[in-house]
Amino acid sequence: MRRPGFRSLAGGAAGIAAGVIGGVVLTSVSTAGSAALDSGPPLIDATHVPPALTVPGEPVRLRYGLICSPRPDGGPCDGSGTVYLRVGDAGPFDAYPLQRGEESKDGRYFLDVPPAVSESRDGFSYYAVLRDHATDATVSVPSGAAAAPDVSVPLHDPVTIALGRHEFGGVRTPDAETVHAPWGSGPGSVGLASSRELGFTGPSSFDVEPDGTVDVLDSVNGRIARWGRGGRRDVPLGASADLADFAAEPDGTFDVLDLHGTLHRYHGDGTAEWEQKLADRTWAKLERDASVLEQPSEQWMPVANAGSPLSRSAQKRVAHSAKRLANGHGLLVDRVGPGELRVAELRGNAPLRGWRITSETPLGEVQLAESHGNGVIVVTRAYVDDRDEFVVLVLGARGLVQRFSVASGSWTETAPLARFRLARGALYRLRTTDAGAAVDRFDLEVPQ
Amino acid sequence: MRCFAALLVVGFALSGVSGAQAYHRFWATCNEDAPTFMTTMTRDAAQDYANAARYEGYQWGGGCWNYDDADSYPNDPPQVLGTHGEGGDCSGLTFKTWRESTDTWRDGRYYWRALRNVHGPYDAAAFRDGGGAPNHTVAKVTAGVMDAFASGTHIGMIFTRSLYGGDQIVEAKCEACGTNIFYRTYRGDSAYGGVGRWGWTG
Repeated sequence: MRRPGFRSLAGGAAGIAAGVIGGVVLTSVSTAGSAALDSGPPLIDATHVPPALTVPGEPVRLRYGLICSPRPDGGPCDGSGTVYLRVGDAGPFDAYPLQRGEESKDGRYFLDVPPAVSESRDGFSYYAVLRDHATDATVSVPSGAAAAPDVSVPLHDPVTIALGRHEFGGVRTPDAETVHAPWGSGPGSVGLASSRELGFTGPSSFDVEPDGTVDVLDSVNGRIARWGRGGRRDVPLGASADLADFAAEPDGTFDVLDLHGTLHRYHGDGTAEWEQKLADRTWAKLERDASVLEQPSEQWMPVANAGSPLSRSAQKRVAHSAKRLANGHGLLVDRVGPGELRVAELRGNAPLRGWRITSETPLGEVQLAESHGNGVIVVTRAYVDDRDEFVVLVLGARGLVQRFSVASGSWTETAPLARFRLARGALYRLRTTDAGAAVDRFDLEVPQ
Repeated sequence: MRCFAALLVVGFALSGVSGAQAYHRFWATCNEDAPTFMTTMTRDAAQDYANAARYEGYQWGGGCWNYDDADSYPNDPPQVLGTHGEGGDCSGLTFKTWRESTDTWRDGRYYWRALRNVHGPYDAAAFRDGGGAPNHTVAKVTAGVMDAFASGTHIGMIFTRSLYGGDQIVEAKCEACGTNIFYRTYRGDSAYGGVGRWGWTG
């Protein structure tokens, strides 16, 4: 090996120095280039809460928020919009311009639905198109527009249920703790992670299969923990799944809906089958058959059909306002004001029966709404500023069949509407404490 | 010259190692521009501002982003201020969206451009407690668009209410989550309190 001379050493040092400097400069240029994109493609989005269930005689105002690229002067979008409206769920739509109001707290753009439409016994269906005048960008709400419009259904002669003031502290003890696992990463445990940014995270969702197998999405450890008749068996997924939702499909596959809006379908052994991006920007809940409650459409969107993923445009076209029930009917849920909950079972878009539930204590989210026997079960949350409990309501044809409270405290954060599942005629709850995770069972009365 | 060329390549490689990348980077493109004082501040303009920060990432203690719909430095180690990545954290995003001053006694409206690197003086707990002249607590049941829910460790702003009784929340959630609009049930969760900003004009 030849001994290096001074010139080659100097050249080498200069080469390294030039390379480092050049690399840093190029990195800076590249980053600055992206930072310079302070005005990217036009942004446009919308907000709307559909009046899914109305009471006869109630005026109906449709409100929309329009979101666009920030203006240099800090002002709101200069926009407009049109609502396409029709009586019932068939026939042509009529166009109505949206008014632009002074306040944006409930949506700056609004339309008072003509009484001839809002008071129709068949309800009405509609969609809106909003436009940002600065860019000419448009957005449809719901995203399926005329192919999958929102519906608004009148509640005629609903069963009325007054819950009164909620009594905190009277929670029901579970009938059984079906599974329990301590925190950890080894066999038999369930993962716990903590951070100052997220607090504690652990199993973010679960499901109960028809044969009684309990599946817990062990998000931190990236696996499904399955408790069946033969004991516990783990299905590795190969990646963590923080705050993801989960469903066990009847064909033995598993669905995991991640934070970023991608649904992952896994084979029974945990190998990936396919993945598909959701059509809308935000999701609330994953149900079996890969059906996802999405926003801003506020509709249930099937992400798959016959085991295969649907394109995003196809998802939009087949979206529907009512959640599909096992008996083929639909279920519409509408949380109204601070303490009212409206529920209706539909055949097509025609109401078969409905319930109007009022509470003196504010009601939060509806965690679960399912058919149960000849009735419906709803799990919602009663809250005041410093206390909250879940409230389980079993609704029958003549009124409230069963009501009880369930503790809401959770050591870890879960997917938003993943705390409860209904299976085999019982209600199951995912619960976490400082010691570990558990799934409890509450036996239910069955409406006749 | 051959040696120069060979080691030039090595130098380029060295410029890209994680050490050079880690304490870097995105903040070098941010600025210290003064905010623009404004007389108006509408809730939907605040929605516009926060919505534009979606996909721009999360940075613990951060408050600087561009509008290219990508986190320029994703998957940084969490809770490390020194990573200097793109995005705000939860309280930084709220501070900038709510057009607040770095002086806690000022309640005026100060518009910060996206690339202005500023986090503000409040963490989530301070917001939860209504700290600072521009902020106040609100009953959760009355909290509306671009009010917020805050706990001891996190704050997210209400993008809009939702049909099933939850809320769509715009928030800088975590390094892996980024900044986005998520469906959340903070309203009914007693770990969270309602927070508002004085001075909305529409």
